[in-house]
Amino acid sequence: MAEARSAFDDLPGDLMIWVLIVSELLVFGAGLAAFLGVRITDPAGFAAAQDHLHRAAAGVNTVVLVTSGWLAALGAQAVEAGRLGRGRRFLAGATVLGALFLAIKAAEYGDMAAAGIGIETHAFFTFYYLVTGFHAAHVAAGIVVLPLVAARARAREVEAGVAFWHMVDLVWVLVFPVLYLLR
Amino acid sequence: MVRVTRAWLFLLALSAGSTALSVAVAEGALAGILATLGGAAILTLAWAKARMILNAYLRLDEAPALRRGFGLALALYALVLLGLYLAG
Repeated sequence: MAEARSAFDDLPGDLMIWVLIVSELLVFGAGLAAFLGVRITDPAGFAAAQDHLHRAAAGVNTVVLVTSGWLAALGAQAVEAGRLGRGRRFLAGATVLGALFLAIKAAEYGDMAAAGIGIETHAFFTFYYLVTGFHAAHVAAGIVVLPLVAARARAREVEAGVAFWHMVDLVWVLVFPVLYLLR
Repeated sequence: MVRVTRAWLFLLALSAGSTALSVAVAEGALAGILATLGGAAILTLAWAKARMILNAYLRLDEAPALRRGFGLALALYALVLLGLYLAG
């Protein structure tokens, strides 16, 4: 007798990478909800603190990361189709954009430090450094993972590495508006 | 045009839209209730971007049952964020 199909049979990629993705989304999701919860106690202070952030740089970083995700998706498709060289080039492009994201983020941190703004300056900046720092750590992990899976160019591994990269992308499209844009 | 390229263009457009709304609020072009509505719109755009990444980049559109489950969880989370924002 045939086994009943599970919804998880349709899951794109390995179940374990999805367990990782959901775990990470829960952590970042809780962080952003806590941020908005604490903001209720001091909306004016949070708005004043937010004015120290580089909205334009963060906007550029959003374009950079979303474009990196697009290149990674094209890379995974190319490897799956057996076009390994093309896939590697797309994944290399995604990695370079990931490094650019980190460079822009480092410049932002440098400017904040030069202005004397640290993790204890205000509750806003405690969340800001924790959430964006943890996210940047994931970007750094991604720019190690992407070249590794690109070098071997095995479809299953590339799919897992690229799924991790999309998770990093997904987290940023939530972090960016909540921390940088909401007034 | 392939699905991921359409998704990329959509994500760029929505990101530009949310940044424009934020600038309008920060520079006083939107004030009072309009500023609050602008914030709600920014969160709505974030929800739309997250859905697009799940469905197109992470390919949940190939798994309709899971897409519905993730979509529901994401919508509930977006409502939590919206409620916290409006309470602030």
